[in-house]
Amino acid sequence: MLSQHIGAICKPVVNKRDHIAAGQLIGNAEAFVSAPVHSPVNGTVKDIALQSHPVLGRAEAIIIESDEDNPPKQPCPDKFSTDFDPSRFLPEQIFDAVRKAGIVGMGGAGFPTSVKIKLNPESPINTIIINGCECEPFITCDYRIMLEWTVQILTGVSLIGRALNCGNIYIAVEDNKPDAVAAFEQAIRKMPSASSMKVVAVKTKYPQGGERQLIKSIINKDVPTGGIPPMINVLVANVATAAAIAEAVLLDNPLTHRVVTVSGGGIKNPGNFYAPIGTSASHLIELAGGLNDNAVKIILGGPMMGFSIADLSTPLTKTGGAITVLTDKDIVKRKETPCIRCGRCVEACPVNLNPTRIAHAVKHNLLDAAQEYYMSACIECGCCSYICPADIELSGFIKTGKILVARQKKLMPK
Amino acid sequence: MAQNITVSHSPHIYKRHSTQSVMLDVIIALVPAMVAAVIFFRTKAIILTLVCVASCCLTEWLCNLARKKPNSLGDLSAVITGLILAFSIPPTLPYWAAIIGSVFAIAIGKMVFGGLGANIFNPAMAGRCFLTACFGTMMTTWTVPATFDANMPLIGTVSEVPAAITQATPLALIKEVIKNKSTEQDENIAAIKGILKNMFIGSTGGCLGETSTLALLLGGGYLLIRKTISWIIPVAVLGSAFICAFIAFELDPHHYVAPWIHLAGGGLLICAFFIATDPVTAPLTKKGMWIFGAGVGALTMLIRLVGEYPEGVMFAVLLMNSVTPLIDRFTKLTPAGGKPNA
Ligand code: SF4
Ligand code: SF4
Repeated sequence: MLSQHIGAICKPVVNKRDHIAAGQLIGNAEAFVSAPVHSPVNGTVKDIALQSHPVLGRAEAIIIESDEDNPPKQPCPDKFSTDFDPSRFLPEQIFDAVRKAGIVGMGGAGFPTSVKIKLNPESPINTIIINGCECEPFITCDYRIMLEWTVQILTGVSLIGRALNCGNIYIAVEDNKPDAVAAFEQAIRKMPSASSMKVVAVKTKYPQGGERQLIKSIINKDVPTGGIPPMINVLVANVATAAAIAEAVLLDNPLTHRVVTVSGGGIKNPGNFYAPIGTSASHLIELAGGLNDNAVKIILGGPMMGFSIADLSTPLTKTGGAITVLTDKDIVKRKETPCIRCGRCVEACPVNLNPTRIAHAVKHNLLDAAQEYYMSACIECGCCSYICPADIELSGFIKTGKILVARQKKLMPK
Repeated sequence: MAQNITVSHSPHIYKRHSTQSVMLDVIIALVPAMVAAVIFFRTKAIILTLVCVASCCLTEWLCNLARKKPNSLGDLSAVITGLILAFSIPPTLPYWAAIIGSVFAIAIGKMVFGGLGANIFNPAMAGRCFLTACFGTMMTTWTVPATFDANMPLIGTVSEVPAAITQATPLALIKEVIKNKSTEQDENIAAIKGILKNMFIGSTGGCLGETSTLALLLGGGYLLIRKTISWIIPVAVLGSAFICAFIAFELDPHHYVAPWIHLAGGGLLICAFFIATDPVTAPLTKKGMWIFGAGVGALTMLIRLVGEYPEGVMFAVLLMNSVTPLIDRFTKLTPAGGKPNA
């Protein structure tokens, strides 16, 4: 996959039938907002072609046939120690290493991390929030690494702090994971360079892992609608991203593997796997024992915002923290009935929108009215659809509306 | 791995409830009031309730047939309309009048607007309003519940007889007591206390389902615990009514009735928990709900204290229903991050 992030799509820098080594650069881009791609394995480039992409539908990909005798890459949390001193590195060095390693936000959005940690003297970051909240129900990959890679994560966090010259760091963990909180606290006590970090237990509720929601819970500030966290001088980074940064800066390892949760009632042996990026969904499912007979829906990501896929060769991307397989029992047959104006969707919306208004405006093709109710501010969390007793696909309508507006804008340039 | 795989947009899981289950909750919550009605008004209560519910459902079915729309009885909202209508008419009302009220409630109150979700007015209140306009006397003739006098024959059998024993509703009664200055002050208080106790249990004159405070509180509590209704509207309705009544009472205790009596009497409770909370005709936003509830409470008291009708609930609800779209507009939400580019 050459597009695993927000920003410019990479160009392949290898050719068909090339033999490549694990960690070798295979896709690169010159643009500032972009991230290069590396091969996770030793192997041969079989093809450079379009491939199913979880978000984009289809996208260009480099298909690598792995060598028979590929030594599997092991996670390396034991390479990091508590006496690490981030001032060994200059901010520019950290930036370069992160950029080179192709690290992107691993919680979901996939914004190139190098861009986020570039020191900007005009608008310095004064708060760093490390996101240890799973973005969705069912997913536990961040939880596992918080327990097992604690020091590695903290190393990465201190590097982020160093790169941005910011010591005000919060680590947010959901309050149903007291052992993760304890693990962090214990490690911080032993680690001088982490002494300024604060671990905060936040309420376990979806969508707590969303940037905006997290910032709100921790420092009680709202990110401006249509804006991004740096506008209020905040940076949010996921724990997996922090771990990847540590690996990139200290060990010079590019981002080629990640932890994925394969779970849901449709999976025989659900679990977390350390897998090469690019692994197909079908392979990951096999690793987890395969599908149960009642599996009906395969989702890349979690049940609230993930993308259901039909093509099991769809590969794992840098941002894909999970594969969730739902069974016929999880799936409810829904039949849309009239809105009873109960206000549940309004109450459920984490960004304080009026989903029913927006959705009905879109339904009747009143895009202006939909925008008047701030359609663009929707974070597409799906809470409104989840809660609606009348089974209205509110977030579905809103997403459609956004696409329609985008198309309109394209057709009618100012 | 050749299995049938479903593909759709997210989210992929949903809360397991439906309009039907929400409505079912409301029906369950009305059961205590129904039981109270049956205890106090006997068979008459059962028949009246059945008549209202049946004619509401039948009307909805016919309307759908005429509009060539799919049957919508399954959402159970017609049953609720029937129940609430039955609960807010006096037990002496002839069956034919109850049928007319039900037909009006569903056909004009709901279906002409396009069915559930599109109606502006609470259908049951619309039906009741129609009945009040057409058969004013019948709608204000109250029977003493059957338990009052052991010798009295069942109300159900005597209601058509002209000599049926009638009694004013507690609100009217208490007004009388207070006006009657010759009564000793203590006696006065004792009388009111007695009435208050009866009101709590429900053995007073009044509409079918309005009389028992206890039963209504049980049902309302159930809805709140199940989170079927938001707590805002009941609190706003009762709160504002209490404040208005309290002010009036403080100004002139000889002329006005004590505030708790107002709260417990004349359908204010059934309104607070079951009528004003009808989602369709109440505002969407929290702020809107506060305004709406406070409006209902205040208007009810205004009508009771100043106007002619001792039970102002119905008009208060209908009036506030009519401004719901306005309230929604004025309480338009701002996204959490403020207005974009504003
Ligand atoms: S998906 Fe629905 S609940 Fe979520 S932000 Fe958008 S409108 Fe609000
Ligand atoms: S949750 Fe559904 S039924 Fe309730 S107001 Fe929103 S859209 Fe309407």
